[in-house]
Amino acid sequence: MNRIRDAARSVLPLLATLAVVLPAQAAAGEDACTDCHLGMDESKETQARLFSHWADDIHGQVGLSCADCHGGNPEAFDDEDAAMWNVENFTGAPERTEIPSFCGRCHSDPAYMRRYQPEAATDQEAQYWTSRHGLLLKEGQDKVATCTDCHGVHGIRKTDSPLSPVYPLNVPETCGRCHADAAYMAEFGIPTDQLAKYRSSVHGVALFEKRDTGVATCNDCHGNHGAMPPSVKDISKVCGTCHATNQKLFESSKLGQIFADEELRFCEECHGKHGIQKPSEAMLAWEGDGVCLRCHTDADTGPREVAGAIAASLGKLRSHLEEARAEVQHAEEKGMEVSDLLLFLEEAHDGLVKTRTSVHTFDPAQVTRAAEPGHKAAQEAIEGARALVENWVFKRKYLLVFTVLTLPLVLLTYLKVRQMERS
Amino acid sequence: MSRIYDWFRDRFDLDAVAAFAKKKEVPLYRGTFLYYLGGICLFLFGLQVLTGILLLLYYQPGENTAYESMKTIISRVEFGWLIRDIHGWSANLLIFFAFLHMFSVFFGRAYRKPRELTWMTGFILLALAMGFGFTGYLLPWNELAYFATRVGTNIPGSVPVVGGALLKLLRAGDEVTGATLTRFYGIHVSVLPALFAGVLGLHLLLIQVLGMSVPPSQERLPPEERRSIRFFPNFFLRDVMVWLVILNVIAVLAVFFPWELGAKADPLAPAPAGIRPEWYFMFTFQTLKLLPAHILGVEGEVLGILGFGLGGLIWFCIPFIDRWEGSHKVSRAINVFGVVVVVYMIVMTIWGYLA
Repeated sequence: MNRIRDAARSVLPLLATLAVVLPAQAAAGEDACTDCHLGMDESKETQARLFSHWADDIHGQVGLSCADCHGGNPEAFDDEDAAMWNVENFTGAPERTEIPSFCGRCHSDPAYMRRYQPEAATDQEAQYWTSRHGLLLKEGQDKVATCTDCHGVHGIRKTDSPLSPVYPLNVPETCGRCHADAAYMAEFGIPTDQLAKYRSSVHGVALFEKRDTGVATCNDCHGNHGAMPPSVKDISKVCGTCHATNQKLFESSKLGQIFADEELRFCEECHGKHGIQKPSEAMLAWEGDGVCLRCHTDADTGPREVAGAIAASLGKLRSHLEEARAEVQHAEEKGMEVSDLLLFLEEAHDGLVKTRTSVHTFDPAQVTRAAEPGHKAAQEAIEGARALVENWVFKRKYLLVFTVLTLPLVLLTYLKVRQMERS
Repeated sequence: MSRIYDWFRDRFDLDAVAAFAKKKEVPLYRGTFLYYLGGICLFLFGLQVLTGILLLLYYQPGENTAYESMKTIISRVEFGWLIRDIHGWSANLLIFFAFLHMFSVFFGRAYRKPRELTWMTGFILLALAMGFGFTGYLLPWNELAYFATRVGTNIPGSVPVVGGALLKLLRAGDEVTGATLTRFYGIHVSVLPALFAGVLGLHLLLIQVLGMSVPPSQERLPPEERRSIRFFPNFFLRDVMVWLVILNVIAVLAVFFPWELGAKADPLAPAPAGIRPEWYFMFTFQTLKLLPAHILGVEGEVLGILGFGLGGLIWFCIPFIDRWEGSHKVSRAINVFGVVVVVYMIVMTIWGYLA
């Protein structure tokens, strides 16, 4: 019995490996590299790492083979020297510091890339050498990220594949593999709480909970291949990539000018960076978490009045919108068709977002003007919902009238039948 | 009034009709109320025709117009909500009362000679009414109807040999699409009404020709103990009274339990939770759900469908299976069969809703 168990123990891992490797081998086709490396006494993990995801690899899918990246002669079966060591272009596995140029041999060559993906960018390597990662790698720091750390090895998927580590939904985790690892990052002396903060931020919630791939993630602010923290001067431009109106209004405001003169960190001063929360009029409060108090004091009565007036405008519109939502919900609960009113609610919500944007003018009059369309839409929703509830009441009145009319008819018919049957 | 009557009498043999109407009688006994059921079905069918025509004035079939036009009907058209709700509720009540009518006929042995064809035409009418329900359910083109139709059309698709062709015929393609909607619309407003009108005409004609059936218990009584009332005007007035009550019930249902339109169908969206067919298909749906994937090497669903087909055929042919019809003996086996069918349908329907 024990011998059977022992035999099973030795055969099962081999079968498991073959199950992984054989389909991969079939996918790779007849090739001296796979022919040899599958037969070599390498550990099963190494074989699995080399071949098990090859079928998913974009390079394999477009017909590239091991030799296209690593060099060598894939037709030299059973002759190690002829297959690798005596072949001039044989590179083998590159060192970490060589990886960018290793990938760049093809990816930086527009003529070559055009054959496979004519619209593909070919500046990744050039950008990489300008990034913080690239600059440190040049200095010999090989713990920094290179191409394979983010894109993977031997299982590299297209970036629009949801399984790719650089697909928008996966980017924070991919960057966080190093940047959230305090022990790994210790020698660089930078914080490692970015991922945790991002998760609870307005962007992180949209990305992870709503699966919104359009929301800003690490590379949208820091860059992809040229990743670098934005400089103080560039912060508003980085945020302005998406929040263009906010940027424009703030930069042309009086406060924007002061920020520029004082070399303050624009958006970040009030909103923070990785942990940016959804804005509300609480940010304008002259107490508690109010952001104005970070620079102003109680003695600044002018700014305090401006902040108070803007917060009041925002609060008024928000309350109006909440009232409209409650009225529409009330009508909906009564079984009324409210889809048209939902459009008004959406319009009112857009109005609130635009009003919040107008806060960056720091002009109460402009904020009040910006709130007007939102108020109008909220009022339309309220009036529409009230009309529906009136209609709901009307239906019940109609039913009462109908019942009052039909029941005597039923009674009269009954009496007539009785009279007829008696006679 | 009498001048108009005279005008017609000069041209048609109205006296014969009046004489027939005077002669027509309804048996009077403890179970007389069961004779209202057929009349209720007829009244509800009339409501269906009337409200259906009114809905046709605004409804626009099509993937991009059906849902939108339904929304317009219930929110913008004056009393559109009422017409739609009456159509929906009276359709459901029609099938409910048709089932009651069928079982009362079954247990009253009203299908016996010479009324075999009346039973069979009634059975066909019920099947057509369910066809109306199935095709009408998809017409609002909302999420629930879309996915229920996808599941519902899969069932005939499992029929051996002809299943594939049947599925394509129903769906107007491989999937439920706008083409299916147009097809169901066509079937709902032209094919089924034409068939229904023809079979209903025959059913009513047979009832007039053969008269009202009385159950064996009444037939056994001596003639002097049998009681009856005239159909016109006595029973007809009673019918009208019941119809008015039913109309009021429908109005209450329409006001307090309106049919929700829900979200528009999106063929690319994942199926929502709680997809179920209309209640009158629930017992078949639940049975097929409970069947194992394979029974004796045959696909469970296929076996289930064949079983229902066979069951339906037996039910349809019951006048020829009940061999005791001439001797007035109550067939215990037939009664047991009927009770088993009723209990099975009720239990499976409840189970389907609770599952």
